[in-house]
Amino acid sequence: MTHDLDGRVAIITGAGSGIGQATVWLLAERGAAVLVQDIDPDGAAATAARLGRQGCDFLVLVCDIADPQANRHIVEAAVNRWGALDILVNNAGIGIDRSIENIDELAFDRMFAVHVKGTFFTTQAAVPALKQSGRGRIINTSSRWALAGHDRASDYVAAKSAILGLTKAWARELAPHHITVNAIAPGGVKTAMVRRTLGESGIATEEKQVPLGRWSDPGEIAATTAFLASDAAAFITGQVISPNGGKTMVGF
Amino acid sequence: MSNFEGRVAVITGGGRGMGRAHACLLAARGASVVVQDILESEAHETVRMVRDAGGEAQAIICDVTDIRSLRTALAAMERRLGHLDILVNNAGIGSEASLEEITEQEFDRMFAVHVKGSFFATQAVVPGMKARRTGKIINISSIWGMVGHHAASDYCGAKAALLGLTKAWARELAPWNIHVNAVAPGGVLTEMVLQQPNIETRMADKIKLVPLGRYADPSEIAATVAFLASSEADFITGQVISPNGGQTIVGI
Repeated sequence: MTHDLDGRVAIITGAGSGIGQATVWLLAERGAAVLVQDIDPDGAAATAARLGRQGCDFLVLVCDIADPQANRHIVEAAVNRWGALDILVNNAGIGIDRSIENIDELAFDRMFAVHVKGTFFTTQAAVPALKQSGRGRIINTSSRWALAGHDRASDYVAAKSAILGLTKAWARELAPHHITVNAIAPGGVKTAMVRRTLGESGIATEEKQVPLGRWSDPGEIAATTAFLASDAAAFITGQVISPNGGKTMVGF
Repeated sequence: MSNFEGRVAVITGGGRGMGRAHACLLAARGASVVVQDILESEAHETVRMVRDAGGEAQAIICDVTDIRSLRTALAAMERRLGHLDILVNNAGIGSEASLEEITEQEFDRMFAVHVKGSFFATQAVVPGMKARRTGKIINISSIWGMVGHHAASDYCGAKAALLGLTKAWARELAPWNIHVNAVAPGGVLTEMVLQQPNIETRMADKIKLVPLGRYADPSEIAATVAFLASSEADFITGQVISPNGGQTIVGI
């Protein structure tokens, strides 16, 4: 196993389950010290248990990503512990499959607060440390639905699209400081949450519509994030990579 | 970082520049490489570099537009090595000509090298990949294929055609677990670029257009090719990754 992230410090938000959890495990396995943020204490504890067994260097913080004060606290915690920050993975998100009539103002605000404000203010807090790093990496988590739309969940689709806007703007704004900013836009991923909501037969139906004939495991999405976080991707910035099994191919 | 031990990778145009970098990196990670080029001494030099580093390499000397020779040479290599697992369609030629200056002969040559060469190299390796139900095809496009350029429309057109092949093949070959993606490099410090007249003074202007403020080393493009060729990218197909320092950020 490669250790190409030895000596790096990474923050992964929403790391208590699914893609975030797989990402934190992979980045730690490749040598990074990791800060695990999640709103769910049980999820964060589950992530931490494996990191502990593997002797990884990690820190856990339970807080709501939609609280700008918490965003600053996340970054301070990492910098106080390790004296630096190199990688920020903005992954925390919520997904609810509602039609337009069923999205009330409270739900709308929460959707944007978690994805957009959470990503924005965590990044704002992280930028001074990332500038000092000299090899800063920001990886934002969008979705295939932001590229192609969806027949429901327009609040989610729009929030994930806003994340692409932040990605492209920050890529330009932060390039002079050698910080790269990219987005991943995953297609179908077999997370525990999706297994519960769709069921195995529901997933099997969806998989038939993917050219590769399957959904991915969270670890495969983590592999793309780990690539973007590594030196191998130092010339990649402002780009969107969508591991989606060929379901969506964006027209250039 | 994946290990390519036991896999065979074919790199067209592997005699110099980015093609050589792809061959050297894939070989360094354990692949046995087949270096195709029209330039005999350059191809042999790449083979020598790989072997000196302890790797395995063979050369194919032919013009990629000579379909019969290309097909025969690839078939012979497949018989000799047992299987061809990765194809990097990299062979290309440059242009800086304006629309009025491009003759029919130049136009035909441009499309023959990039489009026909990639098409028939892929056609030659696909039966073996289908039989083994695994394969990686990486087509080398260009940011000019995405956003155009004020000259070299023959080159831009051919590089855009490669994006079309990428998306079509991704769908056509997905049922056999063959992944097809494109890499669309921005500015790269290849010999071809460095040999341009007054390059030292012109380079300062060129890099002003790149948010990261530099051109890439060929090895950085090879790193993206290697990622796509690896099992880490098994859910990625039909996509375009552009290592371009932020110069081109495509509207999605």
